[in-house]
Amino acid sequence: MPFLEIHDLTVSYEKHKPTLKRFNLNVEQGELLSLLGPSGCGKTTTLRSVAGFIQPDAGQILINDRDYTRLPPNKRDIGLVFQSYALFPHLTVFYNVAFGLRMRGIPKEEVYSRVTNALKMVGLEAFADRRPAQLSGGQQQRVALARATVIRPQVLLLDEPLSNLDAGLRVEMRQEIRRLQQQLGITTLYVTHDQVEAMSISDRVVVMNQGEIEQIGTPESIFAAPETLFVADFMGFDNRFNATVESVRDSKLTVKWGGAPIELRWHSKFGSPQPGARAEIFFRADNASLLAGSEASGLAGQVILHTFHGNAVQYLVETEIGEFSIMQDSEIERFENGAAVTVQAHTQKWIAILEETEQ
Amino acid sequence: MVSRWMYISLVILYSFLLGPFIIIFMASFGANATMAFPPQGFTLDWFANVFETSQFIDSFWISLQLALSSTVVSLVMGMPVAYALTRFHFAGSGMVETVFSAPILVPGLVIGFAMLNFFVLLGDMQVMTGLFIGHTAILFPYSVRVISASLRNLDPYVEDAAVSLGANRLRGFLLVVLPNMQAGIAAAFVLGFITSFNNVPVSLFLSGPGVTTLPVSMLSYLEYYFDPTIAALSTLLVIFTVVLVQTAERLLGLSQFV
Repeated sequence: MPFLEIHDLTVSYEKHKPTLKRFNLNVEQGELLSLLGPSGCGKTTTLRSVAGFIQPDAGQILINDRDYTRLPPNKRDIGLVFQSYALFPHLTVFYNVAFGLRMRGIPKEEVYSRVTNALKMVGLEAFADRRPAQLSGGQQQRVALARATVIRPQVLLLDEPLSNLDAGLRVEMRQEIRRLQQQLGITTLYVTHDQVEAMSISDRVVVMNQGEIEQIGTPESIFAAPETLFVADFMGFDNRFNATVESVRDSKLTVKWGGAPIELRWHSKFGSPQPGARAEIFFRADNASLLAGSEASGLAGQVILHTFHGNAVQYLVETEIGEFSIMQDSEIERFENGAAVTVQAHTQKWIAILEETEQ
Repeated sequence: MVSRWMYISLVILYSFLLGPFIIIFMASFGANATMAFPPQGFTLDWFANVFETSQFIDSFWISLQLALSSTVVSLVMGMPVAYALTRFHFAGSGMVETVFSAPILVPGLVIGFAMLNFFVLLGDMQVMTGLFIGHTAILFPYSVRVISASLRNLDPYVEDAAVSLGANRLRGFLLVVLPNMQAGIAAAFVLGFITSFNNVPVSLFLSGPGVTTLPVSMLSYLEYYFDPTIAALSTLLVIFTVVLVQTAERLLGLSQFV
C-alpha cells in the first residue's frame, strides 16, 4: 500500500489548458522519489498540490490513507524546502527551526531539545544564535532542512533545493539530504531539472514532460533503458540517428550500421515494430570505439575534431548518417583530425525507440 | 587626473547644496533689520521673535498634526497596496503602479489647484479636512514605493514556509511578513512626515482663513517683512529635520530603502 497516493490529479491555471491532466503517482513509505523534467513540465505544480498551495480541479491526494485533497496547507503536516531557502530573516537559526513546533503549541523544553537535536543532525548546533544573513548558502539550506524535518512531517517536499548552490556544494548537500532522509526514514518528493542529481539521490525517478509521466523507474533503469524519445534526450545520450528497421526478432531489432547489421534493444509505444519502420537510435559517447582505416565490421567515417579530456579523448566523427561524438581511452591509439576511421558499435547499451505510428 | 576633477565637482556640488543654508544660518544671527549677508553683529532676537509670532506657533501645530495624521493614514492605506503590488501579478498591476506614482510626477501646483477646485470650492469642505486629504494623497505614493522596496527584499516564499509549518495565512503575515516590513514602514513614515511638513504647493491652495501650515505662513510672512526671523525659523526647521532623519537612520538604517 503506497504511503502517498495521487489519483487523477488535474490542475489548470488557464481554462482548458491543464498543467496536469489525470496525473497518477504512488510513493512508498520511506522512499525518495524525484520528479525530473524541464521547467513547465508540471513537477512543481505536483509538489505544490501535495503541499496544499494549489487547489486541484479534480483528483485526490492521499497520505497514509487520509484524504488531503481539501485540507488547507497549514493543517497538512508536510515539510517543505524551497530553492530560495525561504528562511525567516528576522529570526535566529534556533527560532527558524522552532517555528513549526511553536505553531503546534509544543512545550518549551521539548521545543528546545528537538530543535537542538535537529540542528545537531545538520551540523549547525554552534550556529543557533545566528541570523540567516550571517550563514552561507549551504548552511542556510541546512537550516531549511532542519526546519522542515523537526516537525516530523508525514511527507517531505523539496523544490529544487540545490539550484542556488555552487557545483561543489551541490554534491555535498545532495549526500547530506539523502543521509538525513534515510536516517529519518521520511517519505520524500524531490523536484529537480538536473538528471545527475535525480539519479544520485533517488530510489525512483519520474521523468515528466508537459504534465504527463514519460517514464518511471529506478535511476539505473531510466539511465540504461529510456522508453521515449523525450527521456532519451533528457538522459543525456550524446548520439542519436534515424534508421530503418530491417528485421525484428523477439526483443531485438536489426538496423544497418555501415557494412554490417547490428542488433538492438527496442522500445515502442505501438507494440512490436514491423520491418521498414523508422527508429531513433541512441547511444552514449563511450559506447562506441574507433578503429583505424575502413573496416567492413563498422561504419566508416572521418575524424573532424578531437578534444583531450585527460583520461579520455573525445572525437567528433563525420559519417554518411551523421556526426557522432565518441569517447575513447587516451592510452590507446590516437587519431588526428582528418584520419579515416571505422566506428565500432558496442550495441549492448544502445537503444532503439519507435514513436511514429506505423503506416 | 580623474580624482582631482571628482574632487572639484564634489566641492561645487556641495557648495550649491549647502551654500544657501550656510548663508541663511549666518543671517539668522545677524543684527541687521533686514536679511543681509554677510551679517553684522550677533543677536538671538530673531529666534525669540519666531516664538513670539503666534502665526508661526499656530501653523507649526497645524503642520505637525497634519503631517502626523496624513502620514499615518497614507501608511495604513499604502501597506496593503504595496503588499498586493509586490506579491501578486494581476491584470493591470503595472497600470496601478503607474497611477500610484502619479502624484510624484505631477507638479504639486497642479495637484493643489485640482484639489482646490474639487474639495474646497465644489465640496465646500472644512479647510483642515481638505489639507488632510490633499497631504494624504501626495504621501500615499511614497508609502507604497518605500514599503514595496522593503517587501521586495523579502523572499515571497517565507509566507508559504510559515504556512507549511502550521501557521494560517494571517499568522504567517503577522509573524513573518510584518516584522520584516518594519524598517520600510519606519522609512516611509519619516519620508512622509518630512514631505508633508515641508509641502508648499498643495498647502498653498488648500489653506484657508486662520488655518495654514508653517511653510505657507512663512511664505506670507515673507511678503510683508524681510527681517531675519524667517532665517531663524528656517535654521530651526533644518535642525529639526536633520535630527529626525539622523535618529531614524541610527535606529533603523533607513538609507537602504529610500
